[in-house]
Amino acid sequence: MFKRIQPVDKPVHLVFEEQPITACEGDSVAAALLAAGVTAFRQVARGDALRGPYCMIGNCYECRVEIDGKPNLQACQQRVRDGIQVRLQRGLRKPGERDEP
Amino acid sequence: MKDYDVAIIGGGLLGSAFAWGLADRGLRSVVFDEGDNAIRTARGNFGLVWVQGKGLGMPEYARWTLESSRQWVGFAERLRRETGVDTQYHRDGGFVICLDDDDFDSNVGLLEQLRREAGDGGYEFEIVEHVELRRRIPIVGDVPGATYCPHDGHCNPLRLLRALHTGYLNRGGEYRPWTRIGGLQARADGGFVVSAVDGKVVAAAAKLIVAAGHGSRELGSQVGLQVPIFPEQGQVVVTEKAAPVLNYPTNYVRQTDAGNFLLGPSSKNAGFDTSTEPATLRDITANCVRAFPLLDDFRVQRVWAALRVMTPDGFPVYQQSDSHPGAFSFACHSGVTLAANHALEVTEWVVRGDIPERYRPFHPRRFDVQANPASR
Amino acid sequence: MNPDVVVVGAGPAGISAALALDAAGAGVRIVDEQPRPGGQVYRALEQVSRNRPESLALYGDDYARGLELMTRLSASGVELSPATSVWDISIVDGRLGIGLVCDDRAEIVYPRHILLATGAMERPTPFPGWTLPGVMTVGAAQTLFKESALVPDCRPVIMGTGPLVYLFIRQMLAAGVTPALLLDTAPGHIPVPLWGDLLRAFVSAPKSLLKGVSWLRQIRHAGIDRVTGVGSIEARGDERLESIRYRVDGRTVELNTELLLVHDGVIPNSHLAMAAGCEHRWNRLQGYWQPVLDANGLSTRAGISIAGDSTAIAGADAAACSGRIVGSQLALALDFIDESRHRAETLGDRQRLERIAVTRRFIDRFYRPLEYFQTPLDPDTLVCRCEDVTSGEIQQVAALGCMGPNQGKAFTRCGMGPCMGRQCGNAVSHLFAHCHGKEVDEIGHYRIRSPIKPITVGQLSRLDLD
Repeated sequence: MFKRIQPVDKPVHLVFEEQPITACEGDSVAAALLAAGVTAFRQVARGDALRGPYCMIGNCYECRVEIDGKPNLQACQQRVRDGIQVRLQRGLRKPGERDEP
Repeated sequence: MKDYDVAIIGGGLLGSAFAWGLADRGLRSVVFDEGDNAIRTARGNFGLVWVQGKGLGMPEYARWTLESSRQWVGFAERLRRETGVDTQYHRDGGFVICLDDDDFDSNVGLLEQLRREAGDGGYEFEIVEHVELRRRIPIVGDVPGATYCPHDGHCNPLRLLRALHTGYLNRGGEYRPWTRIGGLQARADGGFVVSAVDGKVVAAAAKLIVAAGHGSRELGSQVGLQVPIFPEQGQVVVTEKAAPVLNYPTNYVRQTDAGNFLLGPSSKNAGFDTSTEPATLRDITANCVRAFPLLDDFRVQRVWAALRVMTPDGFPVYQQSDSHPGAFSFACHSGVTLAANHALEVTEWVVRGDIPERYRPFHPRRFDVQANPASR
Repeated sequence: MNPDVVVVGAGPAGISAALALDAAGAGVRIVDEQPRPGGQVYRALEQVSRNRPESLALYGDDYARGLELMTRLSASGVELSPATSVWDISIVDGRLGIGLVCDDRAEIVYPRHILLATGAMERPTPFPGWTLPGVMTVGAAQTLFKESALVPDCRPVIMGTGPLVYLFIRQMLAAGVTPALLLDTAPGHIPVPLWGDLLRAFVSAPKSLLKGVSWLRQIRHAGIDRVTGVGSIEARGDERLESIRYRVDGRTVELNTELLLVHDGVIPNSHLAMAAGCEHRWNRLQGYWQPVLDANGLSTRAGISIAGDSTAIAGADAAACSGRIVGSQLALALDFIDESRHRAETLGDRQRLERIAVTRRFIDRFYRPLEYFQTPLDPDTLVCRCEDVTSGEIQQVAALGCMGPNQGKAFTRCGMGPCMGRQCGNAVSHLFAHCHGKEVDEIGHYRIRSPIKPITVGQLSRLDLD
């Protein structure tokens, strides 16, 4: 949906659902994913409808993803960091799996 | 102006339960309710249908609570069948989690005394030590143990309100929102006239039920009802949703059907102040994280304070007016737990025009110190 | 250390207010959830001017003008707390407290006064299919453009109207992207009753008006199809947007597209002020809730002032003026300056605000919110994105006697999700108003609860109250 009109001068490497993505320092995670062609960020809790960024200023909470195992983070409010693992937020967070104390 | 069998002042959990029950008994009733921003205790409700620990010093209340919890099973099923609204009632028992040994000892002591007082009432509870507790609730933290009561359960109080409303309307009940009642008067030929705060007469009815929460004190006094209640603030924290991991309600945390965790509730006498306090929120969350460490990185969805209807001894105040027979008032803080009894049993008292002898302890005359020096 | 004033929001209003207070000698801390100051309008400006100054021209003159404000901020004594969000405002032991969260740490700060400059947000636009990936706001695309130099890799469809839409299209053209279609929701011609307003706006600010005319001409010359007076739209697709349908002149047109950018004007970002208990009233003309303020910018809650677009929408220039005025008023109220200095330093801004108001009068009357978005009557349209509640469900509970949004929450969970009603609030109030035959101000708005911004249970349990 989106492309960059500037070359990536300071690259940051992250992974979305096993797919390596090169982003630009200062990008939000949402911008990085959109530039890489990702459209769906989360799946709703009931049913299988997909959602993606709508407002990009932290108001709509539609761009929630899972970053390094932490669920429900707003991709538009998170900055890219080298090595982060980003995943689609699939429905509700599942405390038994990653959150075990 | 229409004539009704019963006019119900208040469309909260109590008023709605009475409305549903009276409609079920074939009476023509009307419910008067305030607007969208009324002080509504149902909204602050934790959703517990709770028996454990209630009724110390008043065994009638312990029995009344237990009876309602037993009625709840069939009640929830009827509501679901008749309205299609599932109140999400589960009666798998509940745990009172104790954060340290002193807490554990005093809680066990309380329950033992209650069992003695209740006599043959069938008050059951179980002491669950840490290892067994972990087996039943794997996500529990490093706590000494808990007490468990099989009668406890939980539901979605908002669904309950919706089910009662729907059932009432389906039976032709009349619901009149945006109508704040200001005046209750006896008619010369019997019955009552109800008027709004602007003085406009809005209904005439043979009987009256005052279930207007914090508005009951003033309204009740117009027809000889003393309603000694005061607001008690409770603060609640709600987290984001998660897949189900906590199958039992507990004293600190319960997970709703939707998946949110409810944390709290605190209690404080704060007049009509409904603002939350950071120190209280910190204490609620600190206890809950001790009980359930996995909540630590859960996002807080919202916090709120609601005003419970509290009586001087914490027990219900039920009465029919001596000076104006036919006028009843009911007030308590357990609108969810007692909903089944309110709908199924109390409505019969209203129809019959008499509160049975065994429920006399709920009359506010118990607060008269001379008459009853034992009251707490 | 507790500052005299905490300013919330480092956009034009907040920075200007902070600078005015700082110049008066007050201790000021300005907090903003973004990593850099600038607010939405000057978003990423410092970054762009440092890393890729050659691209500044793409964004237009108004954008670069914000640099001066940023430079003055860093040269001032104002303490800037970036990447910090405000989750609560309450009274703590009789003191005004503001809850901040930054880097996993939550604290309460106790200033003498709080100044809210939380800016604006785009009015949400519920319509069938608006939740499909590929449907975004124009502002969202503009944020991507400013912050990451992203532009659509296709020819998007744009629906909406108003200065922001035209500015954005101009920015896209400069960046080499030509939208396929502009579905303009404003009428094609200026209605006669507005001619007087237009004339006065022209006399007051001829340059702004001419700029607008030239933008429209550029849109036409660029070969963008522009349809005016569009009143409805539908987005269609399975896993993402595939096509749109709109109605014009009584016929339905369907068009394939993978990106639809929508804009229905901006509204004050009032969640924090509402949560803090500041009274708001419904502005029927502009279709938003605005705080009730006295002549000095004080809200109905003691110790809280509000400035800029979070009081009423008037744009970045007006926000800066408003910030300076409210900042100075506060400096006066806190005894840092005297009356004569306050009058002298705010005179110019007051006159400027009056001039801007003349232009706004025309803009507000011509670029109206679209009724189709405000009251989304189609029963299948999702109004609450978080809890998946449809317009039909709201209408159903209204028929059941449910009076308004707060009871509606209880009945449907609408507004109880993570966005806390930011997206559905206005639509839900409008739907209840429609069903009960009342006005929106009679129905009211959601009661907004803390926390306004994300905070975890653990952060709250370790809250630093000193």
